[in-house]
Amino acid sequence: MKVANRIIDGAELPDLSSIEVDYVVVGSGAGGSVAAAVLAEAGAKVAVLEEGGHYTRRDFNMQESWAYPALYQDHGNRATDDLAIMILQGRSVGGGTTVNWTSSFRTPEATLRLWAERHGVRGLDAATLAPHFEAVEKRLDIGPGNPDDVNANNRKLLEGAAKLGWAPELIHRSVKGCARLGYCGLGCPLDAKRTARTTYLADAVTAGAQVYADCRVKLVEADRRRVRAVTADVLDRATDRPRARLVAYARHGVLLAAGAINTPALLLRSEAGLESGMVGRRTFLHPTVPLISFYDQPIEAFYGAPQSVAVHHFADRGAQVGYFFETAPAQPMLSALAMPGFGDSHRRIMERLPYAQATIALLIDGHKDDVGGTVEVSGDGRARLRYPLHGSLRQAAVAAITDMARLQLAAGARDVMTLHETPIVIRSEADLAQIAAAPFGPNRHTIFSAHQMGGSAMGEDPSRSVVNSRGRHHGIDNLWIVDGSIFPTSLGVNPQVSIYAHARLFATEILKARG
Amino acid sequence: MARTNREASGIDRRRFLKRGLAGGGLLIVAGALPFAIRSTRRWPPHAPLRLLSPDEYAVFAAAAARLVPGDGAGPRWPSADALDCAGKVDALMATVHPEIGKDFRRLLRLFESGLLGAVIAGSPRPFTRARAADQDARLEAWRRSRFGLLRSGYQAMKRLADATYYSSPEVYALVGYPGPPVVPNLPPPNSPPPTLPTPSVPR
Repeated sequence: MKVANRIIDGAELPDLSSIEVDYVVVGSGAGGSVAAAVLAEAGAKVAVLEEGGHYTRRDFNMQESWAYPALYQDHGNRATDDLAIMILQGRSVGGGTTVNWTSSFRTPEATLRLWAERHGVRGLDAATLAPHFEAVEKRLDIGPGNPDDVNANNRKLLEGAAKLGWAPELIHRSVKGCARLGYCGLGCPLDAKRTARTTYLADAVTAGAQVYADCRVKLVEADRRRVRAVTADVLDRATDRPRARLVAYARHGVLLAAGAINTPALLLRSEAGLESGMVGRRTFLHPTVPLISFYDQPIEAFYGAPQSVAVHHFADRGAQVGYFFETAPAQPMLSALAMPGFGDSHRRIMERLPYAQATIALLIDGHKDDVGGTVEVSGDGRARLRYPLHGSLRQAAVAAITDMARLQLAAGARDVMTLHETPIVIRSEADLAQIAAAPFGPNRHTIFSAHQMGGSAMGEDPSRSVVNSRGRHHGIDNLWIVDGSIFPTSLGVNPQVSIYAHARLFATEILKARG
Repeated sequence: MARTNREASGIDRRRFLKRGLAGGGLLIVAGALPFAIRSTRRWPPHAPLRLLSPDEYAVFAAAAARLVPGDGAGPRWPSADALDCAGKVDALMATVHPEIGKDFRRLLRLFESGLLGAVIAGSPRPFTRARAADQDARLEAWRRSRFGLLRSGYQAMKRLADATYYSSPEVYALVGYPGPPVVPNLPPPNSPPPTLPTPSVPR
């Protein structure tokens, strides 16, 4: 089948089609897009297969009722198996970058050292990654933190942390011409956010790559140490049901970039490359615990750049699990999901929405003795995520909630409300002790994750990792993984830019190896 | 504490049910009961259903009526039915993975069970036929249950009801949300320029 170089909707494909290219890339988010661009710009024929639909800024109507079903995995309903952790993960052309909140960090050097010392990662230090971060930062227009980006929601985080000496930082953001509307998570209607679709996918297509939307890769066809092809269901976008089939043959190789849940699930479903026993193991989420604080003056956390301030003061807590603070935007639907209770008690909280400040604590999982979660596939091939909340994480969550409350009191909050199913209302330091006494566990407190990592970890020991330190699979010579699943632990910062940079490095190395 | 450890070990919902415990055995019985012997009170759909049966639709509609702002909210607040929360959930669940849809339908059957209602909240009638106060008591029992399965089930119902209700423009003004700005016009400034301490710049 011959097609023009562009983004092709599934509706354009016949019942059965096949393509043959040099490289097949599965997933069009941060990792897949930059890898496709690097390979295509070097002259390789590349096809990118994306499960989600192709949407542009004209589709982004800033309505949660449209955006979550259209732009998120499982139509906005992805969660751990017990529903204890709501998973926000993108699914459209551009993947997670379409709905990312623009916070841009390099991989912390302490995290890179941890990987080298404890997880067998070799030759991956800050200096090695630096040129790739620089290139990505330039392409995504990532600039220094801008004080003008700080809305009232973030300003409370900044002021409280500053008062307590907790070193707030301005966040670098991947934007150009941002109007600070506040709707990054629903797709940017201005294309001011620099997403994979507007940067590296565009580069890849310009260089000759083909991008196929609505194509859900079901299987990787591997034979001994080689992968030959992938097979995909072509989805009807209205019903999300298969309507056709696409087979993509790869002359040189396949790059998986389907994200830290779907990439391990794809290998498990294909029964390919599982020799290490580590596929789907050590999945990390930065389990994210919100706290709501009410102020006398309007905060209007639904408007303005969603995240512009971060606090990493508690990232290193010695032997205990660390955490960092950021904020979350508070449009009504996402807020309603986070708020505890139902009926009138829930309504009374929602009526205070304009006065609500939303701080989040992201737990840095995988750095201590915690082993994260597991991705499995059920009999019907569906990815299932389990994530037990072990004691060390619970301890960190309770400490984080206490510290966030202390911070918001310092910033002048009238009252602070935890998101336990029976909320604790805190009006002074004396109330803080109640937090440790409250039950914390699955579906007893609101927990989100917007950062999925691990599950196909890199490292040089084939018995402890799935790919090597350049993303090549230990058992399948022409299979690479170029998404967040390669991280041996969580990062301790928002992962998107790290995914871009690692994928860029890996794709560059693929080209080098071919000469 | 033993229960907590069991949850932490990640035993999934169905395996937990099959493993028994008195409660688990009861849930299997309750979930397997056909709707026919429960005399579910029907709730007319606004449009042809795509996934749910009329009985299943009625159970969710009845639960949503209690989950979103209720009797004390006053006439300004639309009902779940006025916003067709159950119809929107039916449409959504018709597009998720078929097995998720099946799980959701099983949950609705369990939710309707008078047998389960009697055990957990002393409310022996089908959920759709229980009094509003008894329906609230049953929701509370699910929400606070020591069984992880019931808490998970409550969250599924609550999140779907809230997602469809609070994403409706009819509710925006009631929660003080002016709605999205009109592009290309910018939203009004919501705060004075911030006064910043000397920032450190993360790299």
